Amino acid sequence: MSDFDQIIVGEEWENTDLSLLETLDHVLNRGLVIAGEITISVADIDLIFVGLNVLVSSVETAHEVLRNRQATE
Amino acid sequence: MRLYVYCLAEGVERLNKTLHGVSGAAVRIVEFDEALSAIVSVCGSDGFQVNRKNALAHHEVVRSITEQTTPLPARFGTVVTIEQLRNYVSIHQQAIKAKFAHVRGGVEMTVRMIHSIDANTSQEPENAGGPGTAFLLDKRREILRDEAGAAQKGQLSAWLREKLGDLIKEEKISVTPSDTVILARADHLIERVNVQEYRTKMAKAVVERPETRFMVSGPWPPYSFANIELEFSRQFGVS
Repeated sequence: MSDFDQIIVGEEWENTDLSLLETLDHVLNRGLVIAGEITISVADIDLIFVGLNVLVSSVETAHEVLRNRQATE
Repeated sequence: MRLYVYCLAEGVERLNKTLHGVSGAAVRIVEFDEALSAIVSVCGSDGFQVNRKNALAHHEVVRSITEQTTPLPARFGTVVTIEQLRNYVSIHQQAIKAKFAHVRGGVEMTVRMIHSIDANTSQEPENAGGPGTAFLLDKRREILRDEAGAAQKGQLSAWLREKLGDLIKEEKISVTPSDTVILARADHLIERVNVQEYRTKMAKAVVERPETRFMVSGPWPPYSFANIELEFSRQFGVS
């Protein structure tokens, strides 16, 4: 395991999904803002940037949706 | 020519390995001076697909650069012309260098906490009135949530600092209270050499709070500590 393998700690969590969501959350919500305007769809959840300044949704929201979806399946 | 930007980096003259980024495009280095460069790929005229694969490709490039040096990661979706990029670096050179000095040798660790609120402890007044009363009750709940969020943020920060001590170089905390659950997130900038100690201390700390669900992840490139407070949009007409 390299120094940059992400470690997720949390016994009740599904690590694969969370690792993905954590990665996407960092990439989509954070980082140096230079320019751009994009609409993003991840895991069937639309994440919409408005001028890269306003983000509608977050990993918590995404996780809640996934949990609800799993609960109804 | 439009460039997809992954990150700014110091002292990267060559890539340790061949990297393919968004849309499978070859990753290149644009050098600005001896120390500063941008890690980019050429973005075709039809842009790029905004999907999970490309978002992960973005992260994989940044992660790979982080093995060489501590970069300033760009947010996913950053496409600029070479002129815009050079102009950006030129105008904000001092701020960029200061930011590099701050994050150098560092990585980001993220702690998420979910704490359920017992509904029985809530002492919400019943709404026996009309629309005006309902409006005021909503405002009251909103104010109480904001106050609770601020208090929880302070308590959480104090607790984390007690547990992690000097490991934290910088901290960003957000708390999202609701009627049923408190969602909190703490991002910590720490020295790369302290990652294992951080994990060990957090593993001990979470045991103290069995009522709260924790998730600790990292190390990440310093996504949460890269942004320079700018009004860049004004320069390029991006709103």
